[in-house]
Amino acid sequence: MKTIEKLSESILDKLSIDFLRSQVLKNAYGNSDTLIAAMDPRPLLVWYLFFGLVPWFVHDVVFLVGCFMLVAFTTWMAHVAGLVLFLFAVGVFSQTGYLFLVTLLFGGDASAILPLLVLTLKVATVSLASITIFSGLDPDKLANGLMWFGCPERLSFSISYAYRMLPLLMEEFQNVLLSYRLRGNPPAHDTLPGKLRYLVYQVRIIIQSFYPLMLNTAKRSRTTVEVLELKGYRYAAVDRQVKKIKLSHMKVSNNDLLFLALSFLWVALTLLAATLI
Amino acid sequence: MTATQKTSANQSQKLMVFVLTMALYGLATLFTELIPSFQVGIVEFSVEYFLFIPLTLAMLFDPMSAALGAATGELVFSEIMLGQFGGLGELEKFITVTIGVYIAGRLVRNPKNRALVGAAAIGGVVIQQLLGCIVDICKVQFGVEDFEAVAGLPESVFATEGFACLNDILFSGILFCLLPTLYLVPKLHGKIEPLLGMAPRTETTALEPIGGKVIAGCAVAFAAALVCELLATSGFSLIDWEADWAGSGTAIAAGIVVAAVVAVAILLVMRRSAGKKGA
Repeated sequence: MKTIEKLSESILDKLSIDFLRSQVLKNAYGNSDTLIAAMDPRPLLVWYLFFGLVPWFVHDVVFLVGCFMLVAFTTWMAHVAGLVLFLFAVGVFSQTGYLFLVTLLFGGDASAILPLLVLTLKVATVSLASITIFSGLDPDKLANGLMWFGCPERLSFSISYAYRMLPLLMEEFQNVLLSYRLRGNPPAHDTLPGKLRYLVYQVRIIIQSFYPLMLNTAKRSRTTVEVLELKGYRYAAVDRQVKKIKLSHMKVSNNDLLFLALSFLWVALTLLAATLI
Repeated sequence: MTATQKTSANQSQKLMVFVLTMALYGLATLFTELIPSFQVGIVEFSVEYFLFIPLTLAMLFDPMSAALGAATGELVFSEIMLGQFGGLGELEKFITVTIGVYIAGRLVRNPKNRALVGAAAIGGVVIQQLLGCIVDICKVQFGVEDFEAVAGLPESVFATEGFACLNDILFSGILFCLLPTLYLVPKLHGKIEPLLGMAPRTETTALEPIGGKVIAGCAVAFAAALVCELLATSGFSLIDWEADWAGSGTAIAAGIVVAAVVAVAILLVMRRSAGKKGA
């Protein structure tokens, strides 16, 4: 009874699309004045490559804690939106906590805690590093950085397109949803079966509203592609010279190198500490 | 644009399908990422994903563009935009989603045939979930130190992963893939294609049925996903080596620290002199 109530309530809460839109926009464009956002994307991507991969392969707790402290600090520097951090916390702890409970169920004891904690630490480090890079950086900068490293043009196009289109798409989805709600007649939700029916009704409306949304988006994507064709996008995407002109504004500054060097110093210190302990 | 145009679309139409699927599926995964899941006992009720969107589009348009668009949309909208990019794991998801959607799209030769649409929709989900489940089990086995030594952990991983997989197929698969696809495909068929300047898919204009080539291609793609995990295992020997070396040489570690300090100092000096020059 309580669970069902909570279920329908919380889904409805989260579906306040204005809230989502503001959070996502804040995450994408709201923090261009931080130290991380001002950096060149290329050294940051190299930095991410280290902190996104190495923690998976290391089992030394001291080293992992050191890395975790560093990425936690950079995440704080990047002023990441609250919703993203909340999702991160829920994701990390629910996953490993659930695994721990099931381990107990299958006759494991407290000795299972330590490997699971190490696993949690690894997951947390890797995802905080990615939060720093992918939420801290301007989407256009990120797309350019990825392109410089030879990622397919489609990917950087998708990133730039996604950040620009998302607010529009969300608004359109909300409008369609509201128009369905206006025309619909929701079932009474005082009793338990009524609440269940209400939940089903809500989910149905969401799925139905994808029908007009699909048709509208089809029109819009046709317009987008036609405009791209006018500008010669498909030829520009594979042309070396165009790519060079596009990426010529990027410049590695002293600050970027300092950031890399300081991170390296910190990692070296944790390595030293790991050998001493 | 003649009536005899084949479903095998030209390049710009493929790009349209890509953009369309990416935008829609990206939007949907953004929502599902934010809707919390609920556990009633051990059964988890979550709106795992709105896979019906790429499934529907793959059945109506070019399957490969739709599949790639869906995988890219998920990657960009819900992983990169929310900063949840997980490195290697995302590659595996990318590949499994692509395979599942592509095969489902290829299976449907005539979107008017409801039974076929339903079978293909559930088939796509099952393929995607099974592949994901296999890779997930491998990942946990490689991620935890002394995996076998921890009492109860191996069984629990198999149990939770297997159960999650079954749960997703039955709950999300039927409610959020099968039923919406059955509702949307016949409704959109013949209406959405002209918007992109294409002829609707029929028995005669559909691509060839799935042959050995497609299956081999999917197998290769899945092997690539697994190779990532195998690379991860072979990475262990590398790290063992590193651990030995770290254990034996405190002096070397100290040397690295000194080198790092020198690098920072040089950069600071350079910065100061650059600042003077600028002034």
